[in-house]
Amino acid sequence: MTLDFSVILDNWPLFAAGLWMTLVVALLSIAAGFLLAIPVAIMALSHRRWLRAIAGAYVEWFRNIPFIVVLYIFFYGLPFMGLRLPEPVVGGIALAFYASTYFSEVIRGAVLAVPKGQLEAARAVGMSYFMGMREVVAPQTLRLLLPPSTNTAISMIKETSVLSTITVAEITYQGLVVQGATFAPFEVFLTTAALYWLITSAFAHGMHRVERAAGAAQGSQQARHSLADKYLQLGMRRSK
Amino acid sequence: MTHPLLKVSNLAKSFGTMTALRDISFEVAAGEVVCIIGPSGCGKSTLLRCINYLTFPDGGFVEVDGTHIGREPGRDGKVRMQSHKRIDQLRPMMGFVFQQFNLWPHMTVLENIARGPIKVQRRPREEVERQARALLARFGLAGKEDAYPSALSGGQKQRVAIARALAMEPRLMLFDEPTSALDPEIVKEVLLFLRELADSGMTMVIVTHEIGFARHVADRVIFLDGGLVAEQGPARQVLGDPQNPRLREFLAQIHEVAAPADLSTPSH
Amino acid sequence: MDFDLLAFGDAFPRLLPAALTNLTIALGAMLLALIGGTVLTVLRTTGIGLLTGAIGVLISFIRGTPILVQIFLFYYGLPALGLDLTPIQAGVLAIALNSSIFITEIMRGGLAGMDPGPVEAAIALGVRARTIWTRVILPQLYIRILPPLVNELTTIVKGTALLSVITVVEVLRTAQQIANTTFRPLEALLAAAIVLFALNLAISQLGRRIETRFAARRG
Repeated sequence: MTLDFSVILDNWPLFAAGLWMTLVVALLSIAAGFLLAIPVAIMALSHRRWLRAIAGAYVEWFRNIPFIVVLYIFFYGLPFMGLRLPEPVVGGIALAFYASTYFSEVIRGAVLAVPKGQLEAARAVGMSYFMGMREVVAPQTLRLLLPPSTNTAISMIKETSVLSTITVAEITYQGLVVQGATFAPFEVFLTTAALYWLITSAFAHGMHRVERAAGAAQGSQQARHSLADKYLQLGMRRSK
Repeated sequence: MTHPLLKVSNLAKSFGTMTALRDISFEVAAGEVVCIIGPSGCGKSTLLRCINYLTFPDGGFVEVDGTHIGREPGRDGKVRMQSHKRIDQLRPMMGFVFQQFNLWPHMTVLENIARGPIKVQRRPREEVERQARALLARFGLAGKEDAYPSALSGGQKQRVAIARALAMEPRLMLFDEPTSALDPEIVKEVLLFLRELADSGMTMVIVTHEIGFARHVADRVIFLDGGLVAEQGPARQVLGDPQNPRLREFLAQIHEVAAPADLSTPSH
Repeated sequence: MDFDLLAFGDAFPRLLPAALTNLTIALGAMLLALIGGTVLTVLRTTGIGLLTGAIGVLISFIRGTPILVQIFLFYYGLPALGLDLTPIQAGVLAIALNSSIFITEIMRGGLAGMDPGPVEAAIALGVRARTIWTRVILPQLYIRILPPLVNELTTIVKGTALLSVITVVEVLRTAQQIANTTFRPLEALLAAAIVLFALNLAISQLGRRIETRFAARRG
């Protein structure tokens, strides 16, 4: 058989609209999921056993069930509680909660990777737990957070395809629409996949550049200071 | 009425079934330098961390200049625990220098010293930075203000850690094994530096396993064994004429190990 | 509207047998993925530029696209190429291909952390490449990567729920069928979530037990 990609060209406005919907929903739910993950991570790191238990149960629950089931529970559960929202919003909320469990583990891991003595040194000069976390621990987690956050974000971008099952008009949904109209499934779903590939590749590429920039900034900082010492150790004061 | 600057009474701490501190009481007068020695695992470091409540003791009292920190007896005779906020406020009365220094790698040397006074005491940045620069100059670190900790030698890191603690204007200083993270060649330098700090009138409590160090720096020595104060007194007396058999054994062992190391110490 | 505990409880007797479908599909896909992942891993070490390049593109494609779209490619796409598959067959193949890519990445990590000594010794003794793989590397490698493999199996189980979209009657589709007759979708879905949760919890607990047994044997 021969592939006929003219069906794609004929339907490109649908794919473009789907691409836009995917980008918007993914971006918003990933951002919301990360914010939601912060209190979960704080609870998971708490000294209080019951707070840790709640955070642990929340994370274990969401991580062990498929996102499609989570999505359906939100889809039927929100109206059940009297909340009638447009499908993209319902899907975004479900994905944000789902993503928050993965991000909370990422944050917890990054905080635990900062040596304990760092917070203790903050406590020793009189900082409270939260001030120490803010001033000393949090800034040191940023570089540790980037690589695993990128991976989690890419997973969540891919999960947005499941939103097609509740008729959110994102890429996969448009693919199903075009496939139904053209009966050219191979061309249609290859194109659909290619669009995701484009998004995830571009995202990964961008994040690697950010990572490198963050790493390089710190590296050059150190290098600059060791190089600079040669000149600045001769009794000259550097004015600020 | 005069009271000791630091008064520790009946301090106790257990971790699960392991008892680290059984019943520790001692006093430190203003301007005094006290070394706490003892076999490893005797609870030296735990004691130091319990004194400033980095670790909460299970029982007993800590008073700094007459003020209780943590647990305090009420007027009705009942013992109550201060709020965490209150303990956080009182903790910097005691400067703490960690074994591994624990400098903050993402801040410059100046910021390591200034961040505490600015954030905790809410003092103006300008004044704090002036004080921090003065401390660095006094410690021979002028010009290192904008360096990051990773660019410093071990001895320099330790002096920054001391400056960071001093910037909070503590009443006394607590040192956890100040020589153990440093190369043997600079132990002597640290010793001189701490001696100088002591001569400036700073009250210091130093946990150490270096007897030579204790001999040179301490006014008084406390020997800890099995979670109890086994012997205490003037350094010369405790180290020169030990009464406690466990202390004798401990000193004999230390001497065997320490003697060859002393010979190899460079003479410059 | 109140939560109907009766409808919730009544869903389990139908959902539990359906969970066997999820488990069977998952184990079948896992077996294929282990074979696929191993073959890909061995091929990646051949050093044939064109081959490793093609595998690299495949890895990037599978990792960069949603598994749901991959399932659609198999389910709608392959028949259009003249290959007729049942929904279950299409689903198992799609999940197996997806998973073999993640398994070859897991194996890459496991290989990097292995002790080179025994392999060097085998090469020095002139042992054939095939034997080195089957006798020296792979037995150790599988034990080493057991924890991420168990984790991969739970990911596969989650993937099986997506097959409800292509009409495979597993737990989620059974829950939808129940909801169609009781008009109680939330109750049926929560029951389905609990069943899938329990299945994955059992897998990870079992994995942990096997892991400690192997850890003990390794000393």
